[in-house]
Amino acid sequence: MRRARIMMAFAVAGATAVVGVLSLVPGEQGSQAAQSVARPPSPGDPLTGDEITRAGQIASATWRSHMTTGRAELLYVERDDDKEAGDRRRADAYIYDYRTDRLVVRTVDLAKGEVVEERTGRGVHPPPSRGEETAAAELLLADPEYGERVRAAHLKAGGRPLVSAADLGLRALTFTPRPGDKVAGACETHRCVRLFVRLPDGSWLDTSRIVVDLSAKKILTLEW
Amino acid sequence: MFLRLTLSCALLVTGLTGAAGATANAGAAGAAGAAGATDPARNAQAAPGSQPSCSSPYRIDKTLPNGARWRLCWEMRTIEGLTLTDVTYTPKGGETIGVLRSTALAQIHVPYDSGEPRFHDIGTIGDDAIALKAADCPGGERRNQFVCVTTRARGHGYLKSDGEGVSKSVQGTDLVVFAAFQLGWYTYLVEWAFGDDGAITPRIGATGSLSGFTTTPAHGWPVGVGSTKFEESHNHNVFWRLDFDIDGSRGDVVEQYDFTGSGTSKRKLSRTVFDEETKAVNSRMRWWRVVDSGVRNADRHPVSWEINNLASAEYRGPADEAFTRADLYVTDYRACERLASTNPTPGCGKSVDRYVADEDELTDPVVWVNVGFHHVARDEDADPMPTHWQGFRITPRDVTAKNPY
Repeated sequence: MRRARIMMAFAVAGATAVVGVLSLVPGEQGSQAAQSVARPPSPGDPLTGDEITRAGQIASATWRSHMTTGRAELLYVERDDDKEAGDRRRADAYIYDYRTDRLVVRTVDLAKGEVVEERTGRGVHPPPSRGEETAAAELLLADPEYGERVRAAHLKAGGRPLVSAADLGLRALTFTPRPGDKVAGACETHRCVRLFVRLPDGSWLDTSRIVVDLSAKKILTLEW
Repeated sequence: MFLRLTLSCALLVTGLTGAAGATANAGAAGAAGAAGATDPARNAQAAPGSQPSCSSPYRIDKTLPNGARWRLCWEMRTIEGLTLTDVTYTPKGGETIGVLRSTALAQIHVPYDSGEPRFHDIGTIGDDAIALKAADCPGGERRNQFVCVTTRARGHGYLKSDGEGVSKSVQGTDLVVFAAFQLGWYTYLVEWAFGDDGAITPRIGATGSLSGFTTTPAHGWPVGVGSTKFEESHNHNVFWRLDFDIDGSRGDVVEQYDFTGSGTSKRKLSRTVFDEETKAVNSRMRWWRVVDSGVRNADRHPVSWEINNLASAEYRGPADEAFTRADLYVTDYRACERLASTNPTPGCGKSVDRYVADEDELTDPVVWVNVGFHHVARDEDADPMPTHWQGFRITPRDVTAKNPY
């Protein structure tokens, strides 16, 4: 069913939603990282916070200027669990270059302190990072129509005006267009996400037709 | 191309029941399959390096009341969330054997019945883990707030009467490793149960809230008062990735078993050995096993774990979602193949149907299991929605030579 953008209704999903304590606050990676301990980590332990920081610095050393201008972002760092690497502590740093729409995955050998492998590709989209969730929400709030609707819904649900994207519970998923998508076909290569927005009363906005194109910095409204 | 072997009923009896004598040995060799036939038989034991490679608090080491012991490591990965590695099983009074090098969720695909929207729910789910309260982990211990390690009664392990009014029985127990994730309006409960009988039960429960998407009567079910709001039906197609390494990565082979005959008095066993990457669909009485022909139990039968996936809704999506069109995939190990769809690594396939397309020879098989659940909302799903579960069973076949209790 085709729906005009103006008709989009922010239906509330589960108005009395009750869920557990969430870790939805955007911010630095590391809540799941191994606790810093005096002893060195065992080969199968998760990366420590220090290892994540160090791997990110090593992997992005040649990307700093792009990152400071927002043209590229270090999405996150994962432990490299290739069993053929044996007991070596290695980390995969995911870097996205929005200017060229390339994903770069750099594998850092933590003992050597250097990048030992690099894979690049276009049209490959790992899950959105916390930083990308915030960027997508800021684009949504900057949209004249959608931004106004989000603010109105937030005021109604929370009884206070929305100050910034940080006031919202955010979740983003990679958006992959279906074949022949006339609205979001560019998302085959562009970095596009679906955004889920949670209000202060625990309800979720119906944002299922909204796609945020982070490469083009545009809001797309799907037609179905 | 598969190596297809159809065993006669006679061979079935001798080969798979381990009757004594020369015929039994021939049968056991037949059941061992083609791969690894030249390996010298090893007794069931842990391969070098198959001991958990992690330390506290990531190491789980639990001996259940019957004496069975499970050891493994957990990690909360950014993309896959709860991931278990280096899983070893020690039967009561037996030797330790490596079972899984790693296992994790590989996708939660959620297409709605009207055709849209269609979600791939695996985002950075490690960052969406819910901090568990003590009440969320009954009888267990919480690791780093997000993981619950506990034990749970499973009912009768067995019960047998001797005919004189005296019966003997035992109660089964599972080690359960569990985490919860908030993915949009849904809360997903992700758990693996490790039984004192050597079985593994991966499953996922969906709870939290319904999406609130409304649709026409053809695609939904009325919720709330009257029949004006139709909540949209949808599927949860959950994929697990399981890198079996039975006694190390060497010698593992995946076999499919079918039992032909319908409307007849006889059933005949048919075994298909997968020697190349492939996909398979469910069928009544069909099951698969990962067998290491080089590792034998005390009866000289090759050790294996059997996979049964008959509880799936068997969702089949459109052509651009070809990854939904099989219930089990077997790939050769590649570190970059992590998710069943929207795979995040450049230079690698994007989905599991692509991983198997080149039909590479299988030397270190990885099994991908797809279990679908079709959720048609009901009034009982009012907030907070009761949990609906989906999963499958992995049971030992000839790991021990006798009752594991």
